[in-house]
Amino acid sequence: MRGSTPGLRRAAFGLCLLVSAGAAAQETYSFDVSAFEKKPFELSGYGELRGEAFELDQDAALYQLGFFDREPRSDFERGSGTLELRGLFRHGDTMAQFVGHSTYQDDFTGSAQDSRLYEAYVSHQPDSGTRYDLGKKTLSWGKGYAWNPVGFIQRPKDPNDPDLARQGFVIAGADFVRSFSGNLKTLAFTPLVVPTYGDANADFGGPLDTGDHANPAAKLYLLYKDTDIDLMVLGQGSRSARYGLDFSRNISSNFEIHGEWAHIGRTSRPVIGPAGSITPRESGATSYLLGLRYLTENELTTIIEYYHDGAGYSEDELSSIYAAVHDAYAQYQLSADPTALSRLRTAFQPVLMQPNPGRNYLYLRMSQNQPFDILYFTPALTVITNLDDHSYSVAPELTYTGVSNLELRFRVFWLKGDRLTDFGEKQNDRRAELRVRYYF
Amino acid sequence: MARSLYIGLITIVLAFTGAPALAAAKVDGDKLLREIDRSLNPESYEAYRKLINIEPDGRKKEYVLFTVKKGRDKLIALFLDPPSEKGRATLRLGDNMWLYIPGVGKPIRITSLQSVVGGVFNNSDILTLDYSVEYKAQKVEEQGKDYVLDLKARTGSVAYDRLVMRVDRKTLLPAEIRAYAASGLLIKTLHFSQIKDFGGGIVRPSVLETDSPLYKGYKSVMIWARIRARKLPDEVFTLNYLPRAGELR
Repeated sequence: MRGSTPGLRRAAFGLCLLVSAGAAAQETYSFDVSAFEKKPFELSGYGELRGEAFELDQDAALYQLGFFDREPRSDFERGSGTLELRGLFRHGDTMAQFVGHSTYQDDFTGSAQDSRLYEAYVSHQPDSGTRYDLGKKTLSWGKGYAWNPVGFIQRPKDPNDPDLARQGFVIAGADFVRSFSGNLKTLAFTPLVVPTYGDANADFGGPLDTGDHANPAAKLYLLYKDTDIDLMVLGQGSRSARYGLDFSRNISSNFEIHGEWAHIGRTSRPVIGPAGSITPRESGATSYLLGLRYLTENELTTIIEYYHDGAGYSEDELSSIYAAVHDAYAQYQLSADPTALSRLRTAFQPVLMQPNPGRNYLYLRMSQNQPFDILYFTPALTVITNLDDHSYSVAPELTYTGVSNLELRFRVFWLKGDRLTDFGEKQNDRRAELRVRYYF
Repeated sequence: MARSLYIGLITIVLAFTGAPALAAAKVDGDKLLREIDRSLNPESYEAYRKLINIEPDGRKKEYVLFTVKKGRDKLIALFLDPPSEKGRATLRLGDNMWLYIPGVGKPIRITSLQSVVGGVFNNSDILTLDYSVEYKAQKVEEQGKDYVLDLKARTGSVAYDRLVMRVDRKTLLPAEIRAYAASGLLIKTLHFSQIKDFGGGIVRPSVLETDSPLYKGYKSVMIWARIRARKLPDEVFTLNYLPRAGELR
């Protein structure tokens, strides 16, 4: 049946060449691969310009905390420019990589420039199943899209921009991978240390940690029965001991589910005590996340995640903090004594400025791929709700990538909630943002 | 003599009526599909591909991919160009698919119906396994110089529920594939052309043009270059190796 002999096959090839000549005559395509050979050194990255307009809520606790000693304002604009460079150098089985990130920002407070080395590490891979890493590297543990409770050795994500690159920590680690046939297809073990000696990883344990620690950690990954499963642990050191697991699995060609679970031995957060004083709340914490990604036939992608942060503030804790800020602000306006507000700012601003300081959240993102036959155009809508106090943020977004290497994104945030609620007490009520990014 | 005449008459009648159907009925569709797979690629190979999305006004957007495949169901596709996509790598192990984006730093699970690059191609078109792995032949017909195979997805996790594949009977190379959703909706049509000798006994179409009634006026083109047989360790086809997929070139 098949033209399996070489002569017959070549004859058929000749015949097909003649037949396909007609089609080829219509349009001929060519492709020279020599430009894409592996090179010893590669450099890439992007440049970005971003304009933002903020409409402030002068009655909100976070406005009062941030602006009580500044000229009152109802809005402000901010412009920023970013350059991110990625470099790679190859030498045999060894590879050196770096990611540099520089930002220049200008708003009513003045201009500021910040440059950081996000990553700078060396990898040695003697064979396909073994790798050693040394240097500053960004790890991304967890399956969640907006949050990662098992992200024990990484900086927290911004759920409003979860795909942004983040700064890593200095590590020494290894990766051992084996593949099998059967239900268990892949088994990988990743041990590492995150040393805090001298200036290395000085912010890993937080401002109160001054000790030297090796901070051992490990992750075990299994691809078992078409399900990704990770088990991870971080030993006691600069951070308290913690362990967790995650999973993800495709249910069908358009439906994926994932989840994370983590337990942290000890967490500490400032709260308002019964007598109105600031006291630390210390406890263990269990956090978890359940999520799904669903794609309809007309290419509407929906991501839903429920996140319980065991260390987060309950509704009562958050409202007591906001009430304390309002009381201190009222007192300040009468007496011009900033002592109480300054004390609250020092204690709470670092925690409350995190995108989601509460305990229970629901994340919903819907993005429509190329609606109305417009290629490279993606409208999306993101809603983040604090399930305890029912406050929320809504962010419609438009992205266009039709021009090669250029990405345009416009989005607006609306924050809604009653007084003494999470999103109701944020610094701004509305924010508009235009981002232009060029890749090279 | 009369018996021979009778058989001869039947043969002539069948030749003009039911003969193709009878002949096709003898064809083992799944075996034929496996042979079509091998006429397209070695079971384990590496290849460079260029994808071109062409808009109705003639504007083009191009992507370059490096692909390695092992066995029936292991495949990696790495974007080499344009810079906005460079370093993105997709891994497929059977029905499982993951996407690695350098900035994000971890592979995330994706679904076969999603589109990594936009345009008419989706992940399943880019991360193509052997057809015989994903489809079962329901019917084979001979039509002129072609076989026409009616293929049904083996599982619900395959991107297209049904394919109608027109294949040259002599070369066993596909000329056209029509892809349908479970609802019977025609999702896209793939046209193979420009047969090329890649060396090492690999002779196959070097161009695949795709159009879709869902994207009227738009067209996507995939061009193959430098396909060659290659053996790789299984550990290459893992999430841990995916960030280093560029080293396989």
